[in-house]
This record gives sequence, structure tokens and C-alpha cells, in this order.
Amino acid sequence: MSSLLPFLIGEAFRDLKRAGRVAVSAVLLITLSLAALGAFWVLSLNLGRAVAQWRDRLRVVVYLREEPPTGAVEGLLRKVEAVGGIQRLRYVSKAEALQTLRRQLGGQASVLEQLSANPLPSSVEVTPVSDASTPEGTRALIQRLSALVEVEEVQGGTEWVERLAQWQRLLQGIGLGVGAVLALAAILTVTTATTLVLHVRREEMEIMRLVGASEMVIRVPLFLQGLAQGLLGAAVAVGGLYLAYMLALPTVEPLLSLTLGLPRATFFSPTEMALLLSGGGLLGACGGLLAKGRSESGRQS
Amino acid sequence: MIQLHRVWKVYRVGPVRVTALADVSFSIEKGEFTVLAGPSGSGKTTLLRLLYRDDLPTEGEIQVAGYEVTSLRRSKIPQLRRAVGVVFQDAKLLPARSVYENVAFVLRVLGAPRREITPRVMQTLKAVGLSAKAQALPAQLSLGEQQRAALARALVKEPALLLADEPTGNLDEAISEEILDLLKEIWNRGTTILLATHRATLADQLKRRTIVLDGGRLLEDEP
Ligand SMILES: Nc1ncnc2c1ncn2[C@@H]1O[C@H](COP(=O)(O)OP(=O)(O)O)[C@@H](O)[C@H]1O
Ligand SMILES: [Mg+2]
Repeated sequence: MSSLLPFLIGEAFRDLKRAGRVAVSAVLLITLSLAALGAFWVLSLNLGRAVAQWRDRLRVVVYLREEPPTGAVEGLLRKVEAVGGIQRLRYVSKAEALQTLRRQLGGQASVLEQLSANPLPSSVEVTPVSDASTPEGTRALIQRLSALVEVEEVQGGTEWVERLAQWQRLLQGIGLGVGAVLALAAILTVTTATTLVLHVRREEMEIMRLVGASEMVIRVPLFLQGLAQGLLGAAVAVGGLYLAYMLALPTVEPLLSLTLGLPRATFFSPTEMALLLSGGGLLGACGGLLAKGRSESGRQS
Repeated sequence: MIQLHRVWKVYRVGPVRVTALADVSFSIEKGEFTVLAGPSGSGKTTLLRLLYRDDLPTEGEIQVAGYEVTSLRRSKIPQLRRAVGVVFQDAKLLPARSVYENVAFVLRVLGAPRREITPRVMQTLKAVGLSAKAQALPAQLSLGEQQRAALARALVKEPALLLADEPTGNLDEAISEEILDLLKEIWNRGTTILLATHRATLADQLKRRTIVLDGGRLLEDEP
């Protein structure tokens, strides 16, 4: 068994200890950058689910000018379906609409007794095929439906869903922007920590080169200590986010279901957590390798 | 073991050119103990640095331990360095590590099998007379002991050639004597040695082949 690997890992930890406070601040910065990125990510993840859910449930309601005679309903439905992009459709008669309203009013239903005639129009509830439930698809569908002579008005509640989708994109953008700036700062700090290590380590590296250590052996501990800083920062970030998520859940979840109709909030999947962790590792390793480049240029012969 | 053919080394310091070695040629056989003598500034350190490829000559060819040093690919430098042990005037020990760890460090960076490390380190420390100080830190050693530790570090990888650049430069007469005796023992066990010194008396007293440099030129080469 070669002594090399345990030695290299040991050297990396020795280096971390020597970088001391700078290494600690590097870890903190990595934590901050990944926590910022992760927080926006979780938010946008949940918003994204809401958007997807609402797109899925999207209904377009086609209000008719006048109630068709019973025999003509079939033909009308076929005519509506012929505009294309429709998955399902259902005819709602004036009577059914009134009944639904009565049910919704519950105790207040008696107000309806005052009405001399049924004021509600008959309608067709249309569920677009999932391809057509994009903003553009829905808009086109609404246009096609509005063009039918029997149609008084078409209501498709896509707008607020799209606004939600915009918010989600904005959150993603902010998250990426803030995350990127902090990540840059993190890389620089790891580089500083590693440069410090290099400085303290100059004697070791000199001896290593003198006795014939390969460049790989000289570099690996630097890479490893950067990697360790990154992984540690990422782990703390994910842990912190999870804690915040658990603490906020009791307050946030009812709010979410009330406003967005999301029954549950979700955290990162294992894959997404792994992605964050490797992101941290990558940041740290980059910092470690960058510092190496600087030191080496001083020693070419 | 060592061949130099018409070696020049010219340093450029800004606009000034310093000729540290001028047309130096000689060769040293395997198993020799050779003294490289000459006053300060005569080019001894420069010459040794060329031998372990710490620097390249301006002109000329150098072979060491079977390696074409002057045309050696960068990636092959570690191999040459493994065949050559080097000690300096100051021991250059790592201050935070024990004597044992300083010596073991070499075997570890070279990837020696784990179970070989302790026996080889202890054997080498014994050979330089430092067994008792294995756990001491460099600062707890005398200068002579520090130099022994440096020798152990150079020797633990069992190099064919040992280069010693003024190894007794920091030591008083009696301790110098001990280190020189130790070098002779090492030589007796088969290591080729090239010892650089500016002390003419030391060269005389060793009664070995002496190569004398002066102003970068080979002044004399006497057996
Ligand atoms: N890195 C360097 N840059 C410029 N000049 C140098 C360098 N190293 C040595 N010299 C010059 O080369 C000459 C020989 O130096 P050196 O080899 O150290 O001699 P010695 O070891 O015999 O005292 C001296 O004049 C010295 O100033
Ligand atoms: Mg010198």
C-alpha cells in the first residue's frame, strides 16, 4: 500500500489549518454564495411548480350569445372543437350555471329567488391540449374561439399565470446574478487562502521539488484543500437552507396553498442537493488551482 | 556519473552579464569522492545547481547519473532529482516537523510503500548517528545535528550521487570534522560524492581529487 494518498490528504488538511482565518472566510463566502443561489432556487422551484400546475388546470370558458336549442348542442360542441388545440370540452347550460352558483352561495342562495329570469349565460368549458397551454398557444386558441359567431366572450385566465411565470424567471435571474457575484468573491477568497498556504508551504514545495516529487504530488494537496473548503461551504449552505425551510414551513405552506393553490412546498431533490455540493466543490477547487498558477510562474528555470 | 562538456553559464542581471562558469569540462566516475574547491564567487554553487537541473547552462552539455541534463524534458526532472541527493550550507529542515518526519517526508512524496517508511527512515537516521533524536524538532538540534538530519533526508531515497554545497560552512572546526567523517562513511558505502567548499585547507586535508574553480574557469583538476 502506497503512503501517497493518505499523505496528500494529510498535507491538504495541514494546509487548511495553516490558512486558518482566511480559509474560514473562504468557506463562509462559499456558504453565502450557495445559500443565496439556493434560496432563490428553492423559491423559483416552488413557483415553477405552481405555474406548471396552473397551466395544467387551465380552463378557457367560452360564453355563448344565446342558449342553443337542446338538439343543437352536439353540433355546436363539434364546431368549437374544430378550432383545434382542444383536449376536452363540456357544455354548461344556463340552468347548470345557476345551480353551480347557488351551491357556491350556500346560505346566501336566497338572493337568487329575487331574480325573475336566469341572468347567467350558457357556456362551453374548454381544456386546451397541453401543447397549447403556453401563453402563445392559449392566446391563439382564445382568438380562434372568439371568431366563432355563436360566441359572446372568451375568458382564459392565463394572464396571472404568465405573470407568475415572469416572477419565476426574475427570481431565477436574481438568484443566478447574486450567486455569480458571490461565487466570484468565493473563488477569490479561496485563491487568497491558497496563496497564503503557498506562501507558508514554500519550504515544503522547495524540498518536494528538490527530492524529485512529481508536479502532481505538489499540486494535489492544494487542489484538495480548495475542494474541502468548497464542499464544506456547500454543505453548510444546504444545511442552513434546509433549516430555514423547515422553520418557515408552518407559516409559508398555508400561505402558498391560499395564494398559489400549492398544497405543499418542496425542498431540493437529492440530485439538486448533489448539484449544489458539487458546485461548491468546483468553486473551491477552482480557487485552489488558480493560486497554484500564480506561484508557479515564479519558479521557471 | 558526471560529465560536463564545454559548459558556460552567463547570468544576465539587467544590462550586466556575469560569467559564472566559463568553458568548464570534466568528468567524475561512479564511486568517486571529489572536492570542488575555489574562493567565494568562483561558480561552485552555480555548477552544482546545473547538475541537479535547478538551472540550465547557457552553453554546453551535462550528463548526470545517465540523464542528459541539458535536454531533459521538464516532466523528467523529478527522475533526475531522485537519483541525486543535495545538501546545503543551511540544513533547510521543515521547522514544524520532527527529524523523523522531515526524513519520512521524502519517502512519502515519492510514494514509497507505507510499511517501508519507518524501517528506512530509522536505518538512515542510524547511519547519520541521529537515532536518538528522531522525535526532536529541528530547533532542538545543534547545527551539526541539523546537518546530519539534512544528510539523512538527502540519503533516505538512496541516491547514486550526493552533492554537498558547503555543508560545513556554518559549523566550527570539530563539528565540521565529524560531518566530513560522515561523508566519507557514506562514500564508503558506495555513494558518489561531490563536495563544494571554499576552504582550501579542507580540500587539502581530505586528500581526494580536487577540481578548482576560479572566476568560473577550471583552474586545476588534480587527483
Ligand atoms: N542567480 C544569479 N543571478 C546573477 N548572478 C549570479 C546568480 N547566482 C550566482 N551569480 C553570480 O555568479 C558568480 C558565481 O556565484 P556562485 O556560483 O554562487 O559562486 P560560489 O558558490 O563559488 O561562491 C558570482 O559572481 C555570483 O554573483
Ligand atoms: Mg556557493
